[in-house]
Amino acid sequence: MKQELTDLELIQNVLTGETSQYALLVKRHQRFVFTLALRFAKNREDAEEIAQDCFIKAYKALGTFKQTAKFSTWLYTITYTTAMTFLRKKRLDTSSISDEDTFLQLENHTSAFNANIYEQQNSHAFLNEAIKHLMPDDAAIITMFYKGEQSLEEIGVALNREPNTIKVKLHRARLRLKEKLQFLLKDEVKELL
Amino acid sequence: MNTIEQQLWDYIDGNLDEIQRKNIEEKIESNAAVKLQYEELLNLNFAFSEMELDEPSMSFTRNVMENVALEPAPVSLKTRVDTRIIFSIGAFFVISILGLLGYILYNSTFTLPNFGKYFTADFNLDKYITPTAMYVFIGLDIIIGLIFMDYVLRRKLNHKD
Repeated sequence: MKQELTDLELIQNVLTGETSQYALLVKRHQRFVFTLALRFAKNREDAEEIAQDCFIKAYKALGTFKQTAKFSTWLYTITYTTAMTFLRKKRLDTSSISDEDTFLQLENHTSAFNANIYEQQNSHAFLNEAIKHLMPDDAAIITMFYKGEQSLEEIGVALNREPNTIKVKLHRARLRLKEKLQFLLKDEVKELL
Repeated sequence: MNTIEQQLWDYIDGNLDEIQRKNIEEKIESNAAVKLQYEELLNLNFAFSEMELDEPSMSFTRNVMENVALEPAPVSLKTRVDTRIIFSIGAFFVISILGLLGYILYNSTFTLPNFGKYFTADFNLDKYITPTAMYVFIGLDIIIGLIFMDYVLRRKLNHKD
């Protein structure tokens, strides 16, 4: 049985010239990086652009990666900064849009959300919808903690914050997520969770 | 902010020390409301850990690899900087300085005829070497040793990860 190469082994191979092995690293982390990007961008097209940009940046800087830390933590740091830059740029771009357009966009988003809720009657769908309604930072911390296998210290490194701050933020994020779920599901929350 | 909910989350996350852990376990056992809240948080925790990751488009990896192909292949910084070059530059400067110093000393006529007359120092170290001073010295050595050991062990641990 062929053993799967670790992240560090794949990086070593890429650095020694086997650049095609980078595709394996991308495949391994793309779902998480894309989900994380989606927490900030809120739509799939932008999230995909952020995620792609993140992997290209990681490839360019692969030689500077200090192999004392986890590759995933380093990758999430890049995802976070890329997403932040993207959001800042996006804010500047959309500042000229009239309020009417913004309102229309928001209304469409809400109706799409409601339609989606009635279509997908399961707890995972509700949870994902509730996460979408969190602040980007809260959603990112929840996602990193539960799906990224990152410790509070590692999330702190990725988001450039103290582990204690992350701990407090994680607690608040969970509280908000619980509130959102209760709001979305009303009394059904206990049955579904 | 140290509410019972925060404590319960810390308990679930495994962030409590032995005493705090026993304390919260007692509360869960003795108080029905706390137990109910704990069970609710446990269910929430399970639901959060079961959240699904989104899938990017089918062409995602291909798109990334197409963009990556346009970039120069990354090279490890360790191999890019040849240590022999660094050592050669260092050796050149050390030899130059030593040579210069030797040349100056060889050509100088520097004498100190009455050095002993002007400079008298009595280094009576015995009065400073007291048991307290020795304890402080050994204590500091132990602290430095522990810090160094911690640093080495952390590095080893990181390498394992």
